[in-house]
Amino acid sequence: MKREIGIYIGGVILLALLFLLSLRIGVLHLQTPLFDILFKNNHGVDASTVWDIRLPRALGAIIFGAGLGFAGVIAQGIFRNPLAEPTLIGLSSGAVLGTIAVISSGAAVYGSRTNVYVAVLFAASTALMVQWLAPNKGFGFLLTGIAVSSILTSLAGLVITSSPKPSIQSLSFWNFGSLSLLNSETIRASAPVLEVGIITAFFVARKLDIYSLGDASSHYLGVNPKRIRFWAIIALAFLIGASVSAIGSIAFIGLLIPHIVRALIGPAHRRLLSISGLIGAIVLLAADLVARTAFEPHEIPLGLITSLIGAPALIILIRRSRAQWVAHD
Amino acid sequence: MIDIKRVTFSRGANVILDDFSAQILNGEAVLLSGSNGAGKSTLIQLIGGFLTPDSGSIEIIGNDISQLKAKDQAQLRSIAPQRRIFDLAFTVVQTLNFVPKKRRSLRTHQIIEELGLVDLLDKKVTELSIGQQQRVSLALALIQEADFYLLDEPFAGQDAASQVRTINLINEIKNEKGVLVVSHNSDNTHSWFDREIVLN
Ligand SMILES: Nc1ncnc2c1ncn2[C@@H]1O[C@H](COP(=O)(O)OP(=O)(O)OP(=O)(O)O)[C@@H](O)[C@H]1O
Ligand SMILES: [Mg+2]
Repeated sequence: MKREIGIYIGGVILLALLFLLSLRIGVLHLQTPLFDILFKNNHGVDASTVWDIRLPRALGAIIFGAGLGFAGVIAQGIFRNPLAEPTLIGLSSGAVLGTIAVISSGAAVYGSRTNVYVAVLFAASTALMVQWLAPNKGFGFLLTGIAVSSILTSLAGLVITSSPKPSIQSLSFWNFGSLSLLNSETIRASAPVLEVGIITAFFVARKLDIYSLGDASSHYLGVNPKRIRFWAIIALAFLIGASVSAIGSIAFIGLLIPHIVRALIGPAHRRLLSISGLIGAIVLLAADLVARTAFEPHEIPLGLITSLIGAPALIILIRRSRAQWVAHD
Repeated sequence: MIDIKRVTFSRGANVILDDFSAQILNGEAVLLSGSNGAGKSTLIQLIGGFLTPDSGSIEIIGNDISQLKAKDQAQLRSIAPQRRIFDLAFTVVQTLNFVPKKRRSLRTHQIIEELGLVDLLDKKVTELSIGQQQRVSLALALIQEADFYLLDEPFAGQDAASQVRTINLINEIKNEKGVLVVSHNSDNTHSWFDREIVLN
């Protein structure tokens, strides 16, 4: 408990510092002190850079980073599989395909409400399809997710290649993810959807503890496992749909953060959820800061950084952990 | 009373229960026996509402369980399945707290003591021996307040002393409730039950 409070306080302070730093630094070097821009009337280039570009981007990193942390906890809990993650089990590819389809068909533009809703719908359908196709919930489930995921990614590539719209971005933009398109409209469109996902996730999380004992045990203790799975998929679709339509698909955050937090504070899902959300926000904000400042004035895709750090970290975790890789039941 | 009325249940071509009827009354402890694969656990899962009969029905105190939500079924009966998954590193206390306070038996403390869990309360369930996990699983079922207790192999993996203590516990619970116990260990415990149902 003490440790948790420490993590909360330390985390919030770190997040605040990173947030200010994100507003402060970038390609354009501010001439005006940040304090004046934020708290005094200011209309110059500096002010519009901070208010219109950096602020939405930093806010986006925080809310979508938290969303990815939440989604990882729910995915691992519901599939009783420490390797489950929205990008591995196909939800993200579904949302990417939905986003690309809607933009290239001209039905809606990037960051619009329609874009977000279609991404949610595609994410949910993908989750249901993987569940329906998979032979079991262990290793076969993951492999099915990976297979479905690569079919959807190929389809997305086809749509992009045949699309005349240059605004659609490249496939690698969507697959690696980037915060570079974020603006305040995008945030306004996706934040309410993300919020629905978060509320649903907290509602589901309380029951995931009991659910972890297996379907039968869960039913006997009064928690209907099918209902929990249904609501968890709704939560995942909203979380992933909202974030993918805005920033593309970002790997490893949802996979690694719940692992690490679980090792620190134990498996109880509610606390796991809150702290993983906090850490997800910190990590995405930090990664984006690196992405846009490390090779100034060039920006590296954000997902490159999370993968470059995340993949080796995953290997270390796999070698160290005694986790059971094949879930039962 | 648990009233099992002409229940038939198959998995594919494998007919596990065929027009099976039985009753378990309040205040009695019934032994459910039969060879491996006879369908004992299947019957427990049917009474527990986790499986649904192909035909026939099961009523607990007059309630057709197929009409009840999981939450309402849990008020009527409590079940220790043959196996539970203990994959996540919850402590024993956290695990026992899965039963909400308002549905916990008045006997909770006694049950935790009798099953020798007092010293294990802060241990992680993932780090217990199989027999210890089995006792946690049994405690989880016994501390849930209900009218009927269905225990699938509660003696499996337990040493002689804890078997005796488990029997004493069931004996007390039986005074007010109905108990159905699946066991192979019929030599030691046979004589102690009020009645036996044999599946084959
Ligand atoms: N999940 C399942 N899928 C298919 N068949 C099953 C499944 N579970 C049990 N069976 C079959 O149902 C029959 C009854 O199984 P059940 O588990 O009820 O037996 P049991 O009497 O409890 O045996 P044991 O003494 O080994 O615990 C067996 O023939 C078994 O093969
Ligand atoms: Mg059995």
